[in-house]
Amino acid sequence: MKIVLAGIGGQGVVYATKILSQAGLLRGEKVMASENHGMSQRGGSVMSHLKIGGSEAPLIRRGTADLLVGFDRTETMRNLTFVRASGNVFVNSTNGLDSSLSERLQELNIAVHAINAEACAKELGSPAVTNLIVLGFAPAHNEFGLSLDDLKSAVRALGPAKAVELNLKALDVGAKAAR
Amino acid sequence: MTTQLLLGNDAIALGLTQNECRVVTAYPGTPSSEILAGVVKFKKKLNRDIYTEWSASEKVAFEVALAASWSGLRAAVTMKQVGLNVAADSLFSAAYTGVVGGFVVVPCDDPGPHSSQTEQDSRLLALTAKVPVFDPSTPAETMAMLKAAFELSEKHRVPVIMRPTTRVCHAVQSIDVTDTGMPPLNGNSGFKKDQQRWAATPVFRLKLHHELNAKLQAIESEFESSSFNYVVNQPLAISHQPFGIISSGSVFTTSQEVLDELGVEIPILRIGTPYPLPRKLVAEFVSRFERVLIIEEPDACIELQIADRTHVSGRLDYVIPNAGELTPEVVMKVIGGQLDKVGLTVAASPEDSALAGIIGALKIAPRRPRLCPGCSHRSAFFTLKTTFGPNAIYPGDIGCYTLGTNLRVVDTCIDMGGSVTMAAGFYHASKITQDKRPIVATIGDSTFLHSGIVPLINSVHTNARFILLILDNHTTAMTGAQPTPANDYAADGSAATRVPIENIVRACGVKFVHVADPYDQEPFEKLLKDAQAFTQTDEGGVAVIIADRPCVLYDDSPVEANPIPVVITEECDGCRYCVEAFECPALILRADKSRVDINYNVCVDCGQCIDACYKGFIIPKEVVMSN
Ligand code: SF4
Ligand code: SF4
Repeated sequence: MKIVLAGIGGQGVVYATKILSQAGLLRGEKVMASENHGMSQRGGSVMSHLKIGGSEAPLIRRGTADLLVGFDRTETMRNLTFVRASGNVFVNSTNGLDSSLSERLQELNIAVHAINAEACAKELGSPAVTNLIVLGFAPAHNEFGLSLDDLKSAVRALGPAKAVELNLKALDVGAKAAR
Repeated sequence: MTTQLLLGNDAIALGLTQNECRVVTAYPGTPSSEILAGVVKFKKKLNRDIYTEWSASEKVAFEVALAASWSGLRAAVTMKQVGLNVAADSLFSAAYTGVVGGFVVVPCDDPGPHSSQTEQDSRLLALTAKVPVFDPSTPAETMAMLKAAFELSEKHRVPVIMRPTTRVCHAVQSIDVTDTGMPPLNGNSGFKKDQQRWAATPVFRLKLHHELNAKLQAIESEFESSSFNYVVNQPLAISHQPFGIISSGSVFTTSQEVLDELGVEIPILRIGTPYPLPRKLVAEFVSRFERVLIIEEPDACIELQIADRTHVSGRLDYVIPNAGELTPEVVMKVIGGQLDKVGLTVAASPEDSALAGIIGALKIAPRRPRLCPGCSHRSAFFTLKTTFGPNAIYPGDIGCYTLGTNLRVVDTCIDMGGSVTMAAGFYHASKITQDKRPIVATIGDSTFLHSGIVPLINSVHTNARFILLILDNHTTAMTGAQPTPANDYAADGSAATRVPIENIVRACGVKFVHVADPYDQEPFEKLLKDAQAFTQTDEGGVAVIIADRPCVLYDDSPVEANPIPVVITEECDGCRYCVEAFECPALILRADKSRVDINYNVCVDCGQCIDACYKGFIIPKEVVMSN
C-alpha cells in the first residue's frame, strides 16, 4: 500500500506518518516511509511518503499512490496527481476539493472523502489532534487498508502515555464522523 | 529477531552504539542532525559509555574524534555534506596519517537540495582526499555498513566514510535491530607516540602518501568481492538483455522499483563501495552489455572512475540530469528513454496530465517557510527594516534567520560565517565605489561561534565599518535545538562551561558592544541608530549588537510569563501591510481580503505585531477589555 500524507508544518504530518507506519509494523508488514525535515517544517508544505508491505524505495511516483491523506485542503490539491486511477483521497476540508476537479476525478475513479476535522477538534477542545481525527475518519472506508483498531494499537504503542487517551478519543471522533 | 521502526539517522546512531564506538562528535546540519541525538538516546538506553559532543564546528568535531581514534578508540564524526568542506583540511591530512581505532566519517548528502546551499557529492570529496566510501541504500543497511566500515578502518588504518543521502537519513524503515555489533580489533591502547606519522614533516608525508596508495589498492581488491556489491535481476540468458544498470545509494531502490513497475528485468549491479571502485567487477559487468546506465546521486562518482566509457551512459554524457534529485519520476523517464532506444516501449502509469492541468489552473502558490509565530528574529528584522529601510546592504547567514529574506533584510547568504566576511568586503568595496549605504550583517549564535569569530577579528583589524547583529536565541534552532559553546550544558545534558558571546566579541577588539532584547522594539531601534552613528565616527569601526532572546519554539517561558494577547480592531481595512512587512504566520488576510484576522491556534501572544500596524489597529486585548 502506497500512501502520501500532505499538510503544513505544525499539523503533525510526521506524527500521523508514524502512526500509520507503526500500524503497518504491528501487522507484521515491511514499512518504508520518507519524512520531511528542516526548512519545510517552518510553516511550509510538508509531505511524507509511506509504503506498507512494499518496496524499500523511499518515494512514491506520481500516479501510483493508493491513498492521499491531506490535513490541509490546498496541500491536498497540490499533491493530488500522486494518486493513481481508482485511488482514494481523505481530506480535512469543509467543502471537499475545488469543484473544477470533480469531473476528472470521477473519470479517473478517484474517490474524495472529506471531513471537517477542525470543527471536530474544536468540539473536542483540542486543535492539536486534527491530524488524528482525519486518520480516525479513514478506516471506515474499506479502501483504507488499516482498521481503526490497527491505528489504536499504534497510538498505544507510540505513546507518550499522557497523550494516548486524547489521541484515542480523537481517532474515535473521526471514526464517528464517517458514520 | 526484534523489528523496530527506525529513522535512518537513528539506525546510524544505533549502529555506532552497537559497534562500540566510544566517541561521537558532530556539528548539526540537515539531514544529519538526528544522528548524535540518537547516540545520546541509545547510550542511555543501552547503558554504554560513549563521549558525545556537539562541537563548535565540523573541523573541531572531526579532530576531536580523530584524536580518540589515535588513542585506540573507535570514533565517529557526523555532519551535513557542506560541513565536510569545513572539515576538509582535517580529512585530507588524516587520510595520510591514518588512524588506530576504527574511524568513521558520516557526511550526509542532500540531493535536491532540500536544505543546503549545494548538491555536492561527498563521495567526490572522498575520492580527492583518497578515503574509502560505503554508500548505503536504506536505513537498515547503514547498520551492516557501519560494522564493515569500522573493521575496514581498523584493518587498513584509514579513515572510512559512510555517506548516506537525505532519503536514507530521513527514511523510516522496519529494521531488525538484533545486536550484530563487533568489538574493536585494536583494543583501547591509549595514544602511542609516533612523530613520523602523527607529526609527519613533508618528507614523511611522501612516505605516508605511498602508504595510503598501497592501502587503497588493497582495499579495492577487497571491494571486488564485497557482499555490498551485487547484481540483482541476474539473467539466465545474458544475450537477451537490452542493457544494464549500475546504481548505488538510495536511488538504487528507486531504480529497482521502477523496473518492477515496468515489468522488465534489467540487471542492476548495486555498488555499495563507490570508492575505491572495484574496477574489475564493474568492467566485467559493463562488458556484458551494449549499454550500461549509471544511476547514482548526487553526482558522477562511479561513472568518473570508469576509464572506458564507450558503453556507459550517465551524467557525463547528459543522459541523466546533472542537477536535482533523482526522484522516481526522473528515474522512470531515464530508464523509459533507454528502453525506448532499444525498441522496447512499455506502459507505466504516469501522472494524469488532464488532472495536472486543472490543478495548474488553480494556481496554488508555493508555501514558503516562515519564521515561527513569536520568533524574536522577526522583531529584530522588523526593527532593522524600519530603521534602515530597503536600501541598506544586509549580508545574512545560515540558520532560521536566513528567512529574513521574507522581510527583505537578508541580501546575501553564502555559507557559515559569510555574513561577517561579506560585510567587511562590502565595506572595503564601498570605499572604492563611494557607496554610502549602511551595512548590517546578521548571524545567529551557533553560526557566529562556528565561523564568525575569525572574520570578526579580521574585520576589526582591517578597520572595516559595519553593524554586526548577532541574533542570539540560545540554541541552534534550525536543526532542532542543539547546544552551542555559549550554553552551559552538553549534548547529553551534562554540565558544560558557558563561553559568553559578549566576552568573545569584546576580546576581538570591538569597541561598541551592546546586548538588548529585540522584543523591546523602541530601545532596539535607538541602539541600531547609535550603532550606525558609531560606525561613522572617526574612531568608529565594527559595532556589534547582540539580540538576546531565546527561541520561542524551544523556550517559550519568557512569553508565557508575560503574555500580551492582541486583537485587531474593527477598523482594519485589509491593507495587508502587517501581513507582508511583519509576516507572522498567525496574521491571516481574510479570503475576501476585507481585513486581517489573527489565527489564535498558532498565535503565541507575544504582542510583537502591535507596532506592525502603523495605523494602530493591532492592540493589546487588555485595552479592549478596559474600554
Ligand atoms: S525555530 Fe526558533 S529561531 Fe527558528 S523560526 Fe522558529 S522561533 Fe525562530
Ligand atoms: S501576538 Fe501577533 S506577532 Fe505574536 S504570534 Fe500573535 S499574531 Fe503573531
